[in-house]
Amino acid sequence: MENTLTTLDAVCLAARIILESGGETYRAEETVERMCRGLGIEEVDVLALPTGLMLTLTTPEHGTLSRIVRVHDRTTDLRRIDECNSVSRLVARGEMDAETALKRLTAIHQPRKERSWLLVGASALSAGSFTVMLGGGWQDFIVSFFCGALVQLVLPPLHRRRVPMQISSMIAGALTTLMALLGTVLLAKVQVEPVISGAIMPMLPGLATTNAIRDTIRGDLVSGGARIMEAVLSAVMLAAGIGLMLSMWGGIGL
Amino acid sequence: MSWEIQLIACFAASLSFSVLVRQPKGSMLISAVIATAGYSLFLLMGQNTLAYFTATLLIGLSCEICARIMKRAATLFVTGAIIPLVPGVGLYNTMRYVVEGNYHQAMSTGASTVLGLCAIALAITTTSVLFSAFFSRRGKKAAP
Repeated sequence: MENTLTTLDAVCLAARIILESGGETYRAEETVERMCRGLGIEEVDVLALPTGLMLTLTTPEHGTLSRIVRVHDRTTDLRRIDECNSVSRLVARGEMDAETALKRLTAIHQPRKERSWLLVGASALSAGSFTVMLGGGWQDFIVSFFCGALVQLVLPPLHRRRVPMQISSMIAGALTTLMALLGTVLLAKVQVEPVISGAIMPMLPGLATTNAIRDTIRGDLVSGGARIMEAVLSAVMLAAGIGLMLSMWGGIGL
Repeated sequence: MSWEIQLIACFAASLSFSVLVRQPKGSMLISAVIATAGYSLFLLMGQNTLAYFTATLLIGLSCEICARIMKRAATLFVTGAIIPLVPGVGLYNTMRYVVEGNYHQAMSTGASTVLGLCAIALAITTTSVLFSAFFSRRGKKAAP
C-alpha cells in the first residue's frame, strides 16, 4: 500500500509541475502513463486539463485509487518541464523507484530563488532587440529597452499578489504604451509603432495559441478550447491596455 | 533598416527571450539560431500568410530534429524559436486603428494578424504531429 501511495504522489506531482510550468496537457498525461508503467502499474486512466488533473490507478492488491489535483498557478518555466521530463524518463525505464522520484520532483517543485536582475535584463534586451528587428532605430531601442525592464519589474509583484494574468497583461500593455509615448516627447526620432510592437512581443501568447491549436487537433477538445480562450483573452487584454493608453494620450492632446 | 541588423537583433531577441522563459542552457543558442533562420525565410518570402506558414514549417522541422538528437522535449526549442514570428505589429496596428475609429482598416489588419497566428499554429502542429507519427519512440523508449 505504502509503495502504491508513493507512486500516486510521485505521478501527481510530476503532472502538476508540467501543468504549472506551461507544458501541454498531453505531455502531462503521457508522463503519468509512462511513469506508472515504469513503476509496475498497468491500469491507469488520466485526464489532464489546463486547470487540473484527474487520475485513477488500478492495482490487483489495493483496488482503485483516484486523485484530483487542482492547478491554480500557470507560468512558463521550461527548465522545470525539462527536469521533470528527465525524471520521468528514468522512471519509465525502471532506473528510478517511486520514492527517489518523489524526492527529486519535490526538489524541482520547490520555489527557487530567481535571479531577478537577470530576468529584468533579459526582458529589457529582448524588448529592445525586437524593436530593432521590426525596423526601429537606436533611439527606439533605448525606449523599448526601458519598457521591457519596467514590465519585468512590475509583473512579478503583481503575480505574487495573485492579480489575474489578464489584468496584469492589460497593465503591461498600458505601461508600455505610456513609456513609448513619453519617449516620443523626450527623444526626437522615436517612432511609436516599432517601440510598442517590439516591447509587447515577449508578452504575446504565441506559445499558448500554438499549444491550444495543437491540443485541439490532437483531440483534447476541452483543454484546447480552454487554452484558446486563455490566449485570446490575454491578447485582447494586452491590446485593451494599449488602446486605453493611446486614447487617453489622444484625449490629453499632447 | 538593413537586413543584417534586423537579423542580429532577431538573434539577440530570441536569445534573451529564452532566458526569460527559463529555457535550459543547452537549448538557448540552438533555438536562437533556428529563430534567425526562420525569420530570414519569413523576410525573404515577403511577410505574407504563406511566409508565416513556410517559415514556421522550417522552424518546427529543425526544432523536432534537434529535440530528437538531444533527447529533449521539442517545446524547449520551439518556444524561443517561434517568438520573432509572432505578429506583434499586427496587434498594435489593429488597436491603433480601433482607437482612431478606423474600423475598416482595423478589421482587415486584425484579420490578417489572426490569419498569421493561425498559420504559425497550423505549421507547428503539422510538423509535431507528423514527426511523432513517423519517428516516435513511444513504447521502446520515452516519448519526446
